[in-house]
Amino acid sequence: MGQLLLISLRNLFQHRRRTLLLGSAIAFVTMLLVLLSSLFNGMQDTMLRSATTLMTGHVNIGGFYKITAGSAAPVVTNYAKIEQIVRREIKGLDHVVVRGRGFGKVISDTTSLQGAINGIDITHEKGFRDVVQVRSGRLEDLAQPRTALIFESQAERLEVKVGDMLTLSSPTFRGVQNTVDVRIVAIGGDLGFMSNFMIFVNSEAIRDLYQLDVTTAGALHLYLKDPEQADTVAAKLRKVIQAEGYGVMDKVAQPFFHKFDTVKREDWVGQKIDITTWIDEMLFIRYTLQTLSVLIAILVTVLLVIIVIGVMNTLWMAVRERTREIGTLRAIGMQRGRILAMFVIETALLALGATLFGVLLATLLAAGVNAAEFVVPKGFQMFLMSDTLRLVVDVPTAVRSLVIISVITTLGSLEPAWRAARLQPVTAMHAN
Amino acid sequence: MDHPPAIVRLTGVDKDYLLGKVVVPALRGIDLAIQPGEFTVIAGPSGSGKTTALNLIGCVDVATRGIVTVDGHDTAKLSERDLTKLRLERLGFIFQSFNLVGVLDAFQNVEFPLLLQRKLTKAERRERVMDLLQEVGIDQYAKHRPNELSGGQRQRVAIARALVTRPQIVLADEPTANLDSETGNAIVDLMEKLNDEGTTFLFSTHDPRVVDRAGRVVRLMDGRIVEDVTRRAVGASRIAQSA
Repeated sequence: MGQLLLISLRNLFQHRRRTLLLGSAIAFVTMLLVLLSSLFNGMQDTMLRSATTLMTGHVNIGGFYKITAGSAAPVVTNYAKIEQIVRREIKGLDHVVVRGRGFGKVISDTTSLQGAINGIDITHEKGFRDVVQVRSGRLEDLAQPRTALIFESQAERLEVKVGDMLTLSSPTFRGVQNTVDVRIVAIGGDLGFMSNFMIFVNSEAIRDLYQLDVTTAGALHLYLKDPEQADTVAAKLRKVIQAEGYGVMDKVAQPFFHKFDTVKREDWVGQKIDITTWIDEMLFIRYTLQTLSVLIAILVTVLLVIIVIGVMNTLWMAVRERTREIGTLRAIGMQRGRILAMFVIETALLALGATLFGVLLATLLAAGVNAAEFVVPKGFQMFLMSDTLRLVVDVPTAVRSLVIISVITTLGSLEPAWRAARLQPVTAMHAN
Repeated sequence: MDHPPAIVRLTGVDKDYLLGKVVVPALRGIDLAIQPGEFTVIAGPSGSGKTTALNLIGCVDVATRGIVTVDGHDTAKLSERDLTKLRLERLGFIFQSFNLVGVLDAFQNVEFPLLLQRKLTKAERRERVMDLLQEVGIDQYAKHRPNELSGGQRQRVAIARALVTRPQIVLADEPTANLDSETGNAIVDLMEKLNDEGTTFLFSTHDPRVVDRAGRVVRLMDGRIVEDVTRRAVGASRIAQSA
């Protein structure tokens, strides 16, 4: 084995030009795969971090209250009791955030826009400061009653700044149009498409808008120590809350705002609880990421096919060039399996070296891009939920890329290696 | 005096090659036995069938008709794997173009068959290879790669490689063809010396200077044996003969 390794290694050095060409191609594809994966990871990380802070907890306890069969208010009455149940039953709970939910018109002195109005208690929002980059004003001021946080693009559209007033207008859940004035205390940096339609107001403002009492909330966002447990926790809560006498809606993997029409068509009245996970609420992100991963897979597959063809061609050439050597080795007693192993080892060594180099290059490039805080174009920001490009090279992805490309490249060498092993010693020995 | 059993025996051997649809006979009705310790030359002009005969004996090709036995094994009945093993254990090869592995140095080239055999320890391999390199006179070039050696030196490495497994017979295909006459003579001197020490040699050549020094000459013409002359009995010293 040692001698086979030595022959393979020296052959790689002997044919430097061929090794460099093929190695560079393999390294390039590896680098591309790692960079695309790190872009995907970075996007996923940013999108999920933003979304699970702004729009959803790891598990959400929301629901609908129906005064009449044809109405649907996205609220949870007497939420404190449910919060007690959650704190009693869920072991891996990190923290709970109470949110108000609503939709309405946001009106400035000059114009207006439609938006999702979220009531928050900023003193309990642990991750909010990490996600929202305040461009002007102070996030802490959102603790004051009748205050609002909007995003840069909204401020631009509404032609407002910190200190200006906005009017929120929406029908109450009893069907009466109501308005509330709020003062802008902070303007945050845009967070992709979420900045287009989400505004955050002090929770008192949303209660005033919808004429709700203090025992009513839009939803409880539960944050877990291990977000992977979200499905288990949601399933448990569904059972426990039902056992406490609440009506619980069937599990439907949709965000709450997609459920209005269905709920309105149902003939029950009163409160029903809806328990969802962040995956249910963020379906559109999952679709986006799935589409992206399919595109990456297609691109990498095409590149890998090109590389495999390159490897096979190169090895066919090598087999032709080394026919006499193969014949000699067979004549002096080398079995076919070892000839095959010799060529496969040669490719495996090249693939391993090149992929390692590719991973290293990708890691350095990713570190460079992150350090440079590369600002992405506006259109891409919307998709990315961030204004800067962030690449996350994680070890499992890098190792997976390395192994996949090394294995596929090495597999590509099997046919030419088999062809070499099948050469008759007499044919091989007398080749020119 | 009873002869020991032949190492190699060819009985009624024919070998045909197919060139498109044309059958070209290379050997016809060859009967030949090689005894241990012989220093035999297969001589003849180009195309007479020398290399074909050597290929059949070396188990790198198979006869169209007839029986080839090497070390008592009918080569037609052996599997590819067993033929390879037979070559490794019983035969040594010396090629016209030396056929050394270019990326290995002289020591590693000679050591290679021992690594394939997996019988000796590293220290034993080292000792045997160095002894052989010393015997063929190139121990000082052990770390040189083939492209750093002259033709004669490369052929010495090839001889050492052929002998390292202590084979029953060494087959040499035109071993002096690519060497100048002085180097060629030195190589034949070396093979004679090794033959005196007990190694059986069978080589093909059309070099008259080499033929003149053989103990036995088998002459081929158009694929048939036309002459088989033993000039010197096995074991009879050349020095004694010349005296």
